[in-house]
Formats: sequence, structure tokens, C-alpha cells
Amino acid sequence: MSESKRLPPQFGEWIDRGSPVRFTFEGAACEGFAGDTVSSALHAGGALMLGRSFKYHRPRGVHSLANHDVNAMFEDGTDTNIRADVTAVRDGAEYRAVNTVGGLANDRLRIMDAFSRFLPVGFYYKTFHRPMSLFPFWERQLRSAAGLGKIDGNHKRNRTPKRYDWCDVLVIGAGPSGLSAAIAAARAGASVVCVDENARPGGTLSYAYGSEPAAQGRLDELLKAAASLPNLSIRCNTLAAGYYADHWVALVDGGKMTKMRTRAVVFAQGAAEQPSVFRHNDLPGVMLASGAQRLLRRYSVRPFESPLVVTANADGYRAALDFASIGIHVAGIVDLRPDGEPSDLDERVKAAHITIHHGQAVYEAVPRDGLVGIKAAVVCPLDKQGELDTDDGLTIACDGIAMSVGWAGADGLLYQAGGRMKYSDEFEQFVPETMPAGVFAAGRVNGVFALDQKLIDGERAGLSAAKYLGLSSPSTLPEARRGPRSTHPYPIFYHPKGKAFIDLDEDVQLKDLVNAETEGFDNIELLKRYTTFGMGPSQGKIANANTVRVLARLRKQSVGETGVPTSRPFWHPVRMDALAGRGFHPHRHTPMHSFHESHGAVFMLAGDWQRPAYYARPGRSREECITTEVEAVRHQVGMIDVGTLGKIEISGPDAGAFLERIYTGRFTNLKVGSTRYALMCDESGVVIDDGVVARLGEDRFYATTTTSAAASVYREMQRYAIVWGMNLTLVNATGLYGGMNLAGPFARRVLQPLTDIDASETAFPYMGMREGTLADVPARFLRVGFVGELGYEVHVPANCAKHAWDALVSAGGAFGIRPFGVEAQRVLRLEKGHAIVSQDTDGLTNPFEAGMEWAIKDDKPFFIGQRSLRIIKKRPIARRLVAFSLGAGYHGNMPKECHLVIDHGKIIGRVTSIAISPTLHEPIGLAFMPAEKAAVGTPFSIRIDDGEMVAARVVKAPFYDPHAARQKM
Amino acid sequence: MPLKLLKFGLSGKYAEPRMFRTPEKMRDTYDLVIIGAGGHGLAAAYHLAKDYGMTNIAVLDKGYIGGGNTGRNTAIVRSNYLTPEGVEFYKESVRLFSQLSTELDLNLFYTERGHFTLAHSDASLRTMRWRAEVNKHLDVNSEVIGPREISKLCPYMDLSCGGHAPVVGALWHPPGSIIRHDAVAWGYAREACRRGVEIFQKTAVTGIDIVDGQVTGVQTSRGPIKARRVLSAVAGYTPRITKMVGIRTPIVIQPLQACVTEPLKPWLDQIVVSASLHIYVSQSSRGELVMGASLDPYELHSERSTLDFVEGLVDHLLDLFPFLGNVKVNRQWAGMSDMTPDYSPIMGTTPIKGFYLDTGWGTWGFKATAVCGTTMAYTVAQDDDHHLIRPFNLSRFGDYTLVGEKGAASVGH
Amino acid sequence: MKIMTCPINGPRPVQEFVYGGEYRPMPDEPAASDAQWADYIFNRSGEPGLSREWWYHAPSGTWFIAERDNVKDVVLKTYLFDRANPPRAGKGATP
Ligand SMILES: Cc1cc2nc3c(=O)[nH]c(=O)nc-3n(C[C@H](O)[C@H](O)[C@H](O)COP(=O)(O)OP(=O)(O)OC[C@H]3O[C@@H](n4cnc5c(N)ncnc54)[C@H](O)[C@@H]3O)c2cc1C
Repeated sequence: MSESKRLPPQFGEWIDRGSPVRFTFEGAACEGFAGDTVSSALHAGGALMLGRSFKYHRPRGVHSLANHDVNAMFEDGTDTNIRADVTAVRDGAEYRAVNTVGGLANDRLRIMDAFSRFLPVGFYYKTFHRPMSLFPFWERQLRSAAGLGKIDGNHKRNRTPKRYDWCDVLVIGAGPSGLSAAIAAARAGASVVCVDENARPGGTLSYAYGSEPAAQGRLDELLKAAASLPNLSIRCNTLAAGYYADHWVALVDGGKMTKMRTRAVVFAQGAAEQPSVFRHNDLPGVMLASGAQRLLRRYSVRPFESPLVVTANADGYRAALDFASIGIHVAGIVDLRPDGEPSDLDERVKAAHITIHHGQAVYEAVPRDGLVGIKAAVVCPLDKQGELDTDDGLTIACDGIAMSVGWAGADGLLYQAGGRMKYSDEFEQFVPETMPAGVFAAGRVNGVFALDQKLIDGERAGLSAAKYLGLSSPSTLPEARRGPRSTHPYPIFYHPKGKAFIDLDEDVQLKDLVNAETEGFDNIELLKRYTTFGMGPSQGKIANANTVRVLARLRKQSVGETGVPTSRPFWHPVRMDALAGRGFHPHRHTPMHSFHESHGAVFMLAGDWQRPAYYARPGRSREECITTEVEAVRHQVGMIDVGTLGKIEISGPDAGAFLERIYTGRFTNLKVGSTRYALMCDESGVVIDDGVVARLGEDRFYATTTTSAAASVYREMQRYAIVWGMNLTLVNATGLYGGMNLAGPFARRVLQPLTDIDASETAFPYMGMREGTLADVPARFLRVGFVGELGYEVHVPANCAKHAWDALVSAGGAFGIRPFGVEAQRVLRLEKGHAIVSQDTDGLTNPFEAGMEWAIKDDKPFFIGQRSLRIIKKRPIARRLVAFSLGAGYHGNMPKECHLVIDHGKIIGRVTSIAISPTLHEPIGLAFMPAEKAAVGTPFSIRIDDGEMVAARVVKAPFYDPHAARQKM
Repeated sequence: MPLKLLKFGLSGKYAEPRMFRTPEKMRDTYDLVIIGAGGHGLAAAYHLAKDYGMTNIAVLDKGYIGGGNTGRNTAIVRSNYLTPEGVEFYKESVRLFSQLSTELDLNLFYTERGHFTLAHSDASLRTMRWRAEVNKHLDVNSEVIGPREISKLCPYMDLSCGGHAPVVGALWHPPGSIIRHDAVAWGYAREACRRGVEIFQKTAVTGIDIVDGQVTGVQTSRGPIKARRVLSAVAGYTPRITKMVGIRTPIVIQPLQACVTEPLKPWLDQIVVSASLHIYVSQSSRGELVMGASLDPYELHSERSTLDFVEGLVDHLLDLFPFLGNVKVNRQWAGMSDMTPDYSPIMGTTPIKGFYLDTGWGTWGFKATAVCGTTMAYTVAQDDDHHLIRPFNLSRFGDYTLVGEKGAASVGH
Repeated sequence: MKIMTCPINGPRPVQEFVYGGEYRPMPDEPAASDAQWADYIFNRSGEPGLSREWWYHAPSGTWFIAERDNVKDVVLKTYLFDRANPPRAGKGATP
């Protein structure tokens, strides 16, 4: 690489010369210092070309050095799309530019630049689709040409916790206005956090005022004042990525996100310098003046050897002086303004022997071979209309062009916060018009450019925020003057040979905008979508403002009328692992979880719960395990953990009446100590839940719900209790109790020795409910029969549930007790013909279709869904849930749940449940059938995988123990 | 290089004609006013002009062409719905979309990527099978596949899902596609204009005139227009329009958000959807990952973004693709979704004579754009609901005959 | 994250709340025609404006009414439901 551009130590530099850093770029060894960014270190080493452009693969170099462009996007083998301009250089890193074929210097795709005339705006919409059959080929070509970095499939997720934080006033931007605002608010007593995306505070003070010794002292003063305020913290390297409702701001530093809740926000993010548009304005060496100054002041790097400064404001003059101060020969100042700079900067520049060309502009940059830099600029006079007189060009030799023709407020977040902006013709900039409560702007976003005025404006904003928070503040606030006007209305110059860039990210040229407008894309959003300006990684930070000017001119309307594209989060892109944080996915475990784990349970998710699907046994298939569990229940005894069911206690004088309104059935006549099936519909008459209601006392009921509906049923019960004005109390006991269902012919013999209740059939009959103890812990016993055997469902306080479970397991040992999972339970209940809500019903099933008319007591004055069901009942019921069998002799391929019933080539129904019954040794199931084909004995055909048709027949449910004798043993 | 590009390059002059033009003045009377220059309104205009010779049509939009949800969606086109009515309808749309670039002579970047709906539980696998069976019956390519086949098609996916909710299978739908959404609107607009339809942007409808139950005209921000037929295709703005004509609907507006990453070299071919994780993702032709999640949980007429959305989305995305941690999210946005209780659209004739509705597109309506063009054109021209959309008439709510697509539409797009 | 003010627990992040839909008094059941009933079941006043709606603070189990500008997403006030003095139905400012 060429000679070093590093300067001797400079005042205020950000690098630590004591800590050298070594790395490679495109395979070549490079060095820099701690404190350098990758780009500053490379530029210091003489590497001016840092990347290739997205579409035409043109060489690109340092431009803004502020993350306002992505000319330098690197990968390092682990990370991709690294923004080299603002990423601290890492010792030992191996950087490469993204999106090249064969390396940066010899990128084979650089020929794209020669083809660019064949690739006009939106070309891809008009080609490749005839014939359509070839498009997949073209699409592959286009896709691999597009895209920037490559992913690394082995990259490990970084699980960094997120933080929450809060403050009274958040100041975004630690430049002069931001610091001044933060200090003023903190002095008024507010707790203040001031963030800045840069490595150090200072904003413009850290680069733009290098030639003004007085200004340099200001930063020290501000920082000293800030340091003396314990209620003010300044956080650098911290990006305010997005503003969200109620002053919720995403702050990202490094790989971590902090979610800041603040009571007021001061936006003091300054402004993004905007380029002049001319031919070859994108090549290495053409820089924003502020970018060159950042190189110079922060990193002590010579941006160029002999630059031309093109400007329309005082900042350009300052930049020229800056360059001169370190001995750079300035090839001249080209000032677009006919009268030049009104301030004393004019004199100072002249004193430095820099030639000034008034009323002129750069028409084109003259590239070096291979476009790797520039060697001259062609400068032409501007007439009164702002048009260039291109016949009268003057070629000035230079190796760089520093552009300082205007600024656009960094107002993205301000827009997101609901700030309304209007275009100021005086300042040629959008400035705040109205602000929502608690939102303030200061400094250049507010159109204030002079340093002393920025300090005043910051103070005003800080005090206004304090006042908004009710803190004491002076009755009259200081007021700053906007200006001076720092932005040229139209620094944009057409060249017939093109290659005048509007958007560097997307390689959008001036002529693309013109052509797109001609094609009818004549408002800012349509233009954006067609040309893709502003859609790249830097989101138009240095493209939007010029585009709006171009469109305004084409449409012969004002910039204000033309408007800006909508601002959306993020200000800069944010890594996904910072957004995701730790990745927190809670699962719920029942008290018996450790038992399940140690007994080989294979878990399934039921909402947030983990439930045993079945208990795996070595050398046995899943089916065999399930069958064994079923058989244990049918022949000995089994136990299932039902702690996940919803459990709700309803007590109070209106409890019974309430349940009658909630459920379709009757409950006021339920005897104390009894249970009853409970079916719930929504207002439209759709079945949404079922469970069991037990009466604990005259005014006390206990209801269970399905696992998945536990939270919503309780919630809706609470709402109805309020709306109906009923006198009752609801307690959500779901997590309070563990639950287990002990079922099988030996259930009583297992249970009785462990309990103080009389578990006999006469003392505690089927559908009864008792309260007592189990293994010395308080327990509720419900005799329910979902699985169709003698059974006791026992609910005990959650902290004792494992104890009770273990006691039953050991007592059951002698009877061959076996834990069973959800799969076995599904088979058992299917043998009984019981439907599962949400498996055997869908989002539109009413009770008539589900065969649950018996659970509806329509002689009540009201229940949820009643009125709708009366309407539905007036019409023919279209489908019914039926039980079916494939016949005992069936040994063919098994249908699966959701296979369809087909009749004469039409879908007429669907299997909702199916299993080979281990008890009956035949395939049985439930299915929806058309009402006219639902009669017992009706044959039908199920189409299974591969289109085979399987014959089935509607049968009577239940399949097993039709008189429920076994439940009542 | 295709010939067309050569011509572009060699001609030197930019010869492309204007795609759509705005006439100087609105006429006093049109045969039909279409409210909304989104894909749906424009497609209907195009088909009315092309298929029925009806060209005295004004399409009005308060914003710009395609500026509503047409320009905000994640452009997933598929037909693997759940109900036979839905499948027939979306299947026709996919057929039309697959030929649309040729039909409109504009490359819409319609690319078949294949569409996974992942199942993380046996309950969702059951719904997948239901969909697959209905799909296959109606000749839609769709099947349930297991983890091994998923891995083969998309090797980057972590099927253990970080151990959180392992993938147990998927509904695989090879015709699932993505397309350049904006271009669809532009193509219809251009071809409708070419046939005489007039499009007025920045023209808001502020009222609808009705006499004796018959539409007679509309009030706009640029003055009144007489018309005896009005088609409302305004998606997230539907309740404002139905209020103007005094009809009530179940439509509730809720925001749906989306986001994109920085561009990456191609690595993800398919569209991946997981309803359990509430996410979906595809990689655009430009290389960005285009991602979304479920609907915002409450009514809101706003296109604001939230941080919660992108946090939750990305968290789950990293469960499936853990190596994306260092990829950056660039931009987020939102659209206003016109939700119905059964996740099916509301289309066709209404109790008001001459007033036609095309709404209820929620989070899924972009893929219907093409078929809405043909069916709404038929419906308006004949004043009779096209047979494909008859199940979706507003009257189904009074009749309790909903078309339940929730199982196939939520998060699925 | 939005802030919602629970009348019992004060301002809390909106994640703690469940939206309960527009506040809609049930029509008089026997008197309502089938069409009126279906209208109540399915239709909503979906237009933008000030809406009175149900919200539920899940950790504490509190149902309440919020008056919200559903365009700006600004919660104007929240209060417990009072049967004696129920909220007005539909969109629009409280008189
Ligand atoms: C983030 C997001 C992702 C989505 N992803 C998908 C997806 O992947 N696949 C899918 O199929 N669907 C998806 N959708 C849904 C899909 O975008 C929409 O259903 C579809 O685009 C609706 O199209 P439209 O033409 O009906 O409405 P829009 O495109 O919204 O057009 C309606 C137009 O009406 C105009 N308008 C409104 N009021 C008035 C008035 N008073 N006067 C004049 N003009 C008016 C508006 O300005 C607008 O331009 C998604 C939606 C969102 C928000």
C-alpha cells in the first residue's frame, strides 16, 4: 500500500498511538491504532478504495465517515455487512469488502459499470419475463448479483440480556446543542441521560471547528460542566435506534439493547451533510467535507493531498482552513453562491492563499484510470437560474473534492416521535413546526447552525423539558436564532453522460429520477419504490434530500409540497441478537415434572405446559408404550397428571345462577357433593370449552376447564360477573392445585388406604365430589369418567401434589399401577366416544353438530350463545360428529386424523379422531359427516395417503362399555 | 442479455412511455367509481375494461397508486387454504398471478419459492393434514412432510428450534411464491389506463350519495361525481366508507407490522412460516429478509411501528435460524388490516344497490388481488356475485354461514 | 412499549393487558329480532374515533373500560365498569 497519510499527533484526536492494531484487508497486512475505525485506519494506510457499489461495482471510498453511507461494508469471516466507517478496528481481524467477485481490486463484476447504460431505472420490470419460462434462470442471476454480505451458517447466537432504564429527560446527540440541553435540564433538577452514537461526545465540536481555537475550548467547558452534575450521564457509542409510543426509546450499544423510558426527549442529533450531485460524484476522493474533517480531526488522517472544496456555506470555508492548517494544499474553493461567504471566514481563507471561485459549481470529477480516484474537477459558472454554463468549464487538478453544499436535519426519530416539520424556504431545510407533548428539538435539526446559537438553543430545549416536567425554570427562556442558511437550494447538476449519483447505496443516478418521473412515478413515495432511492442500508440519509429537490423541480412545485419519504425505525440498522436478547421462552411444569422426567416421559407442548405424551420404555415402540398404558387403565390401574387443567372456584350467593349463564347446562339444582359436565359456547353458539363443575357447598362451586382455555375462561368469567352485576367471587386456582386422575378397576383399592373419605360406590358414587385428605394432605376428589373406568380425580395443593402422587404410585405398586400420558388418554376417551373440544370440534362447530344437544338446557332464561343457537336451530344442521369403525377385521393402512371423507369425488366429511382400540382390537374414530349420512350403519369412504379409499361405517358410540357400568363399579 | 436491454442501451434516448397519466379534469359522470387504487381496485378496473369493455371508470385514491397495503405487504402468494371455498378462490388467483407478468407485459418478479408452514405440535400437524387433504382434492400441490424432508429442502433451519418448540413437521406447498407487490399495482394501473380508465391520485372520497337505496354518486376532495355504481376497495379504510353508506360489517382494523434486514447474498429459497412462533420470513430478490409476525392485538387505525413487535419476531426467528444474530434489521413498517371474524373476505353485492364491497383482506389479501380483479369485474358488470365469491358475501354473517379460514390464515399470509 | 393505566394498579406496560374489544351492551335478548341479534354478534363499529373498550389487567385480573383515541392510540381515561352508569355504546365522545 502507498505511503502513510497519518499526521503527527493532533489536538483532540481519538486514537491511542500507544496501542497499535494489526489486521488485514483483502489479504494485505494493515495497521492502525486503538480508537481508529476500520476505514480511518485503512485510509491512513493509503487505501482509498474501500468498497464496490451495489449495482455497478464502482470503486467507493470514505464519504461521510458518519454512517450516512455504506461505501465501506466489510465481512470478517464471522460478521457481515460491517460498517467500516464507524466500527472500531479489531486487532487480528481479516476484513474483506462485501459483494465482489474475486476481490475488491479485481472485482470481476466491475464490468457492470460499462453495462450501466443497458440497465436503466426499473429495467428488471421490463425484461426477463418473455418467455416467463426463462425467468427463474434470470431471477437466480439477479438474486446472486444483489445482496451484500454472505451469512455464516455457523455463527453462534449471542444471548445478551436486554436492559430497562428510565430517566426524566433523554437527550439524543452529545454535540454542542445536546450537551447544552442536557446540562440545562440537569441543572434544573431532572435526571438526564445524553446519548451519542459516536465513540466520544462533541458532535461538530469534535471535527468542524478545528481551525477555531476558541471553539475547541468549548467542548472542554461543556464536558466539565456535565461531569459536575451527578444527575447527568453521557453515554457514547450508544445509538438511539428508534422512538416508540409513550417516550420509549431503543438504545443500542455494542451488542446490547437498553429500553429507555423517559418523560421527555430532546432531539439534538444534528444534521447529515448532503452531497452535491455531479458526474462521478461517487468515486474515492469525493467526500463530504465533514467526512474529510472527521478523518482529519478524530483520526489525524490526511483526507487528500490537494482537494478542491465545493461549498455553499461557512462550513466549507472552515473545512478549507482545516486542510490548510495541516499543510494540505487546497486547490481552490468553488462557492455556488454568487456573492460568496459573508462572514470573516472569507478573509481568513484568502489570507491562507486559497483561491475562491464565486458563482461556480463542480460539473464533473475527472476519474483516474480504473475509476479508483480522481485527478481533476471541471468547474463551470452558474447562471441566475442556477443552470451551469458548461461551455465555460475550467479544469482544476485535484485529488479530491470536499463537498459542503448543504445539510439535512437528522430528523428521522423526530418524525417517528410525531414531530411535524415544515420546509423553511429561508433556510432550505425542514424545521420543526409542531411537537407532541414532551418532545423538543435543538440545534441543527431545529435549523440553528451557528455555534453560539446552538448552545443557546440547547439551553432553551433543556429548560423547556424541565419546565414540561414541572421543574423550576426561568419564566423567560433564552431564544436562539436559526441559520445562517447553510444549504444550497439545488446543488444538483445534470451531465448528459450520466453517472451523477443521487443514492450511493443503491446506485441511483440523477437520470434515473428524471426517467422515472417521466414514466409517471411522480410523487416521492412512488419514485422511491420505483428507483429504490432511500431503500438501501443507510435509508437515504444522504439521498432523500436531493431527491426531493429533483422531484420538486421536475414537478414545478415547492420542496415542502413534494414532501419527504416516511421515516421509519431504525435510524441505523440493529443486530438481531441485540433485539432478541436472551431469548426467554418459559415453559410451565406441573409439580410432578421430575417424576415424569425420571420415568422416561416424552413431553408435548400444551400451551406453555409440558405434558407427558407417553412414557417411553426401552426397546418398545411409541405405539406399544401407549397400548401398555391403555391396558393398565382398562385392566389394573393407571394415573395421569391433570394439573394443567384450568381450575376456577366460584363462590357467593349468585354462583349457581352465574354458572347457568356461563354454561349451557343447569347448575342451581346440582347437589352439594356432586359434579356435572359443563359445556361452554361463545355468543355465536360455537363450542369453545368444556369441563366439570362440582358443588362444594351451597354457595361454592369448583369448575375445571381445558388446559388451553384456562386463562381465557377465567378472564371471561370475570368480565361477565361484572357486566351481569352478580354477587360472587372468582378465584383462579389453576396453579394452586396439582391434579391427578387415578383410573382403572383397582383405583379404589389403591386410593382407600391413603384417604380419610369413604371411597366406596355407595358412599361416594359416580359423579360425586368429596373433600378430605390424601396421604395426609387436603384433597378434593371428583368421580369423573373421561377414560371410562372407575376413576378418582384428585386435586391437592400444588406444593403437596408430588407427595400425593408418589404416595399413590407406591400404594399402586402392588396393583400394577402405571402412569399414563395424553396419548393413552386420547385412546381411552375415544373408546368411550368422548369428543375433545378443539380436536373433534373446530372454530365454527356448534353443539348440535358435535352431538352435544344433551348438554344444553334451553329452558333457562339465558346462557351465553343461547339466542344464537335458537337461530341456528331453525335451519337444518348440515353436519354431525359421528362415531365410526373400520371393522374388527381391518388390517390395512390406517387413516389419519384429518383425512377426508369422499363421496362421488366430493369432500363430504373429515376424520377428527382415530385409533386402533387396544381394547376392542379394531380401528375406531370420530368423523364429521353430512347430517343425512350420519345414521348408524351408513357406510362411507375415507381417502388416506396416496389416495387409497378405506371403507368405514357409522356406528353407535360409545364403543366401549355402552352402559358406563365400569365407571360405576 | 435480453434484447430489450440492448435496445435500451443503444437507443441512447429514454423511450419508455408514461405508465399512468392523470387527466387534467375529472368528468361529471362515470359509469363506475372505484374507491382505492390498491391492487384490488386497479385489478377490477383493468378487468372491467378488458373483459367487459367498461372504460368510463374513475379510480380514486386519497394517496398514491399502491400506497396502501398493496405496497406494504410481504407479497406471499399461495393457495393452501383450509376451506374448499377458500382453496378454489385462491387457487384461481395463483393461476392468474403465475401468468400476470405476461398478461400485463411487466416483469412482476413472480417467483415460485415453495412455502413451509411449520408444525411444532401434533395439534398443528393435524390442521396441516386437513389443509393438505383439502388442497390435494382441489388439485393444489400441498403435502405434510416430516423433519427430514424439511432439512433437505432448507438445510439452514434448526429444527430443534433452540430446544424450545421442536419442529415436528410442515405443510409444504411448492407453488408458494413471492412477487414485487408494487409492480402488480403499477402493471394493472398501466393496462387499465391504456384502456381508458382514469386514475386520480390524491383524491379522497368523502361521501357517497344514495337515493332510495341506490348509489347516485360520490363526494370527493375535488368535488362531486355522478355514478350509479361504486366499488369500495379500500382495505384498512373500509369502516369509514361503509359508514358513509350506512351499512354495518364485522370489519375491525388492526395493524400488521413487518420488517426487513439489510441485503444478503441468497441463502433462503423458501418462504418459512410458523404459526406457533408467530413468524414468517422469505428472502427477496434484492437479498433482504422480509419478515413478519402476528397481528397487533388491538384495534388501531395507524401505521405506527412498535419495538415489541420486532423484538418478539426476531427472538423467534433466531430460534429457527440462530446464525442470523449478526444480521441487522434495517427498517420496520405497518399496514392497517381489515380483519373479519372468520378470516375470509367480504366481497360482492350489498344491501345498497350499486354499491359493491371488496374487503376483509386482513393479513392475507394481497394474494387475492388477481382473482379479485376478475371476480369483482364480473360482479360489478353483471350486478351479480361471481360464483367464486358467493360464499364471501356480507350476508353470511346474518345467516351464520361463516367460512372458517382462521386455521390457514393467521400468521400464514 | 405503550403505557396503559389500570384504574386499580396505575400505569403499566401494555403487555400486561389483554384487549377485550369494543364495549357493546347486549340487546334485549327476547325482544331482538334474529337480524338484530346477528348484527350484535358479528358487526362492529369499526370506524376510527374515540372508542370505549374493554381492557383486562392480567396480573391482577382487573377488567375496566378505556376511552381511547384509536387513531392516535392515546388513552384518554380508564375507569371501572359501573352497571348503574354504563358507558355509552359505539364510537364518539362521551357527552
Ligand atoms: C405488513 C403486511 C403484510 C402482509 N402480507 C401479506 C402477504 O404476504 N400476502 C398476502 O396475501 N397479503 C398480505 N397482506 C395483506 C394485503 O397487503 C392486503 O390485504 C391487500 O394488499 C389489500 O389490497 P387492497 O387493494 O384491497 O387495499 P390497499 O392496497 O390498502 O388499497 C386501498 C387504497 O384505498 C385508498 N383509500 C382509502 N380510503 C380512501 C378514500 N376515502 N378515498 C380514496 N381512496 C381511499 C388508500 O389510499 C389505498 O391506496 C399483508 C398486509 C400487511 C399490512
